[in-house]
Amino acid sequence: MIRNYFKIAWRNLKQNKGYSLINIGGLAVGMALVILIGLWIHDEVTFNQNHENHDRIAQILVHKTANGKKRTRYTMPYPLGNELRNKYGDHFEYVVMSSFRNNNILSFGDKTISKKGSFMEPDALRMLSLDMIRGNWNGLINPNSVVISESTAKVFFGDNNPIGEFMTISNKLNVRVTGVYKDIPHNAELNDLKFIAPWDLYTLSYGWVKYARDNNIWDNTSYQLYVQTTEDTSMAMVSSKIKHTVYDNLPKYSKKGDPSELFLFPMKDWHLRSNWKGGVNTGGFIQYVWLFGIIGAFVLLLACINFMNLSTAQSQKRAKEVGIRKSVGSTKKQLINQFLSESFLVVFLAFILAIFLVILVTPTFNQLANKQIIFPYSSMSFWLVSAGFIIITSILAGSYPALYLSSFQPVKVLKGAFKTGNSASAFRKALVVVQFTVSIILVIGTLVVEKQIDHSKNRPIGYEQNGLVMIEKITEDYEGKYNAIRSELISSNAVVEMSESSSPLTEMYSSGGGFEWPGKSPDFIPNLITISIGHDYGKTIGWEIVKGRDFSREFSTDSTAFVFNEAAIKYMGIENPIGKIVRWNNEEHKIIGVVKDMLAESPFEPVKQAVYMIKYNNTNWINLKLNPKKSSSASLSIIESVLKKHAPYVPFKYQFVDTAFAKKFVAEERIRTLATIFAFFAIFISCLGLFGLASFMAEQRTKEIGIRKVVGASVFNLWKILSKDFVKLVMISCVIATPIAYYGMSNWLNNYEYQTNITWWIFALAIIGALVITLVTVSFQAIKAAIANPIKSLKTE
Amino acid sequence: MILQLKDLFKWVNSGGHRIFLLNDIDISINQGEFISIMGPSGSGKTTLLNVIGMLDDFNEGSYEFLEESVHKLKEKHRANLYKEYIGFVFQSYHLIDELTVYENIETPLLYKKYNSLERKAAVADMLDRFNIVGKKDLFPAQLSGGQQQLVGIARALISNPKLILADEPTGNLNSKQSTEIMDLFKELNNEGVTIIQVTHSEKNAAYGSRTINLLDGRIV
Repeated sequence: MIRNYFKIAWRNLKQNKGYSLINIGGLAVGMALVILIGLWIHDEVTFNQNHENHDRIAQILVHKTANGKKRTRYTMPYPLGNELRNKYGDHFEYVVMSSFRNNNILSFGDKTISKKGSFMEPDALRMLSLDMIRGNWNGLINPNSVVISESTAKVFFGDNNPIGEFMTISNKLNVRVTGVYKDIPHNAELNDLKFIAPWDLYTLSYGWVKYARDNNIWDNTSYQLYVQTTEDTSMAMVSSKIKHTVYDNLPKYSKKGDPSELFLFPMKDWHLRSNWKGGVNTGGFIQYVWLFGIIGAFVLLLACINFMNLSTAQSQKRAKEVGIRKSVGSTKKQLINQFLSESFLVVFLAFILAIFLVILVTPTFNQLANKQIIFPYSSMSFWLVSAGFIIITSILAGSYPALYLSSFQPVKVLKGAFKTGNSASAFRKALVVVQFTVSIILVIGTLVVEKQIDHSKNRPIGYEQNGLVMIEKITEDYEGKYNAIRSELISSNAVVEMSESSSPLTEMYSSGGGFEWPGKSPDFIPNLITISIGHDYGKTIGWEIVKGRDFSREFSTDSTAFVFNEAAIKYMGIENPIGKIVRWNNEEHKIIGVVKDMLAESPFEPVKQAVYMIKYNNTNWINLKLNPKKSSSASLSIIESVLKKHAPYVPFKYQFVDTAFAKKFVAEERIRTLATIFAFFAIFISCLGLFGLASFMAEQRTKEIGIRKVVGASVFNLWKILSKDFVKLVMISCVIATPIAYYGMSNWLNNYEYQTNITWWIFALAIIGALVITLVTVSFQAIKAAIANPIKSLKTE
Repeated sequence: MILQLKDLFKWVNSGGHRIFLLNDIDISINQGEFISIMGPSGSGKTTLLNVIGMLDDFNEGSYEFLEESVHKLKEKHRANLYKEYIGFVFQSYHLIDELTVYENIETPLLYKKYNSLERKAAVADMLDRFNIVGKKDLFPAQLSGGQQQLVGIARALISNPKLILADEPTGNLNSKQSTEIMDLFKELNNEGVTIIQVTHSEKNAAYGSRTINLLDGRIV
């Protein structure tokens, strides 16, 4: 019986090649998209699950309140680790203090390479359940050891055994390799952790860290803290217990405002829910997981709608078969089964095609989405889910046609009195409206995302990015050599100006409070970004002085002077700022200038208040303005040789400021790319359906068209008659889609403080686009029908 | 007695008027009869045939088929009944275009839970009997009208029905083909199959043992 069903289904497919192609092709494209989205979502939600105890690991975070605003921070004071261990040890399996994950120079022999790594307490290896290829989880107990990732080992030692070899970190810390771990996979937050060195080494080697330890400094927060709770502990309970640990230990003069609150941020949320606003978690990437999940479901729905539409449209053809089958003894149930197996066959063929498509495009998709997804050939659960997916899709796509077709009355269809009912064609129309509504919403969404990115990209940056290069000083090897390097570089004509700064141009590292100025209200607790720079900073980056003047070597008093940005002047509410005195840390600083706001952090947020000051001993970055008359590659090789001369063991690693800045748009651009792809395929699938439907309609109206032509209708008249219905449907879709898209995109834009507005032309563009596409799709069939010879078409009746 | 219709009415409502398609029909038919139903167009011949074949229902009256009251049966039960005992032959053959001759003949057996060996044997038998073994892999469109009707009859016979209902079986055929088909029916009737045919032709009606004349839904 089943074989017979499949046989007739197969012959039907073969006979109606056009419909079959649309059906199977459309479904395959839809399914391929859904599979890709599914793989992507799986990759996102399994983030960090490589760590065996991922459900019990957390990072300690803190909510801090200032001027009524709650902010959430990742930085912890040095003594907190021991305090938690001693007071709340029952709740924690491991407590691991850690430095920030930074670039450090690793060297072995004459090889020096910069790698990201952290200094962590010995339990880190156990807590992260690292897969040790060599050595074991005790590798960090000796303070002069280092544990490196497999890829790091490969770079330095090739296939040789690195255990016991001596390496140096930052050209000064001598360590011995005690372990090699498998690199942490790409879908884990710590995947760039390429080496781990002991926390004790960190403490002993850096004066300011040692100072924090020896003097129990609670108000310098420069470290990170990870914990793993014991099995029967709830994170919420621990959070409420440890809440005030930092605040209670602060010295009196630091206890300002509301007490800060510590809490555990579970590892499962690190990736997907990393946004905080006013002390509340506001989600994060999880939004896009949901969004793409919903889009995937819709794309599949669109493809299923095509199937339903074309099946019911062909009902006249199939009606006779239904009548015959019923008259030779088929029950309704048997017919339903027949049509369901037919849809199963179509879905199954589409699935096979979809798998090929997915395999084909996975590399491209990985590139677009910045993933390393591998097609899960050998995953049993993948195939099981796929089987379920095929069955659900078959039922979704096949149930309506099955019920509809199987309910025909044999007497009527066999008598030839059968006409496709109005209800069926109304249903088909409704489906087309759904398809186009979804497509138009996606198009409008894509346009808004595009506009938001453009809007932020065209924002004034406040300085000159062209030919600006920055180099991180990851060691102390450059200390005291600033003037020599600068004059050498300038005289070599490679650069026109050089300067140093504490933060790179694309980030703001540090901020501070404790500022006092005339007219400040006593309750106001100020917090400003602090940037230490050299005298030549302004000239190098080309900032714009709005009031007053730049720092200058001619005034020795400039070493204590301040330059604020406009945002800071507004923030502090100082009128006529030039010459006014600001007190900071009990020292007096004169305001000598105000600069235009410079965009350093998120291009989607307002520029923060910042103060610039001269401090040569607190700089981490070298900024270089390349000579515009020289090719940048020539300049860079000169710069490399000069820097190598002064610091031979430091690898030369530079970034162009404009490329570094462009990276700020990566997340949004990725979403735009994916949204564009989805919108394109949604429209593509909808058009396939429309095309099929139009060809069917034209076929069904052959007689009508023939008669109209005989009585004198022109091709244009006929085209109008045939296209009108579809245009009407698309117009209805536009009316439905517009408010939904407006509402959704307004919500999305509210994620950004610096946002574009949704203008009318976006809707106009989407609507006109939809209409044009509809007309093009439909016209092909309409014109074909209209120019056919009426004698022929009337004869077939 | 194979079936009996009593005081049977069927009507449709049109603009407040009741139009009778079948009006007070009383028929009883014995096993082995060969009945011809005649009458002008629109007199209700096909409707009557469909009612007898349980493809159509009626509004009033009773219908007994092999001691079962058809009007009281649920649809499923009724389907089982005609599946078991009734075969249809249509004027326009009504073969499934996508199936071969072989598969068309096989179709009724699919709905009767025959296993594949039984089906093979039964279909082979039919092909043999109607001399169309060589055509078994052809599709309906590749056959002449007479051949298609042969397949239609083979399909109707495959499940060994007690009753064959034929709606103008020769209406689309030329006279030579007509004669062949009618001879076939006669032969089947001689073998004991009850046949009810609807026809316009006196010549065809003469093959039957009894003629029922209809006019405006009434027996005259």
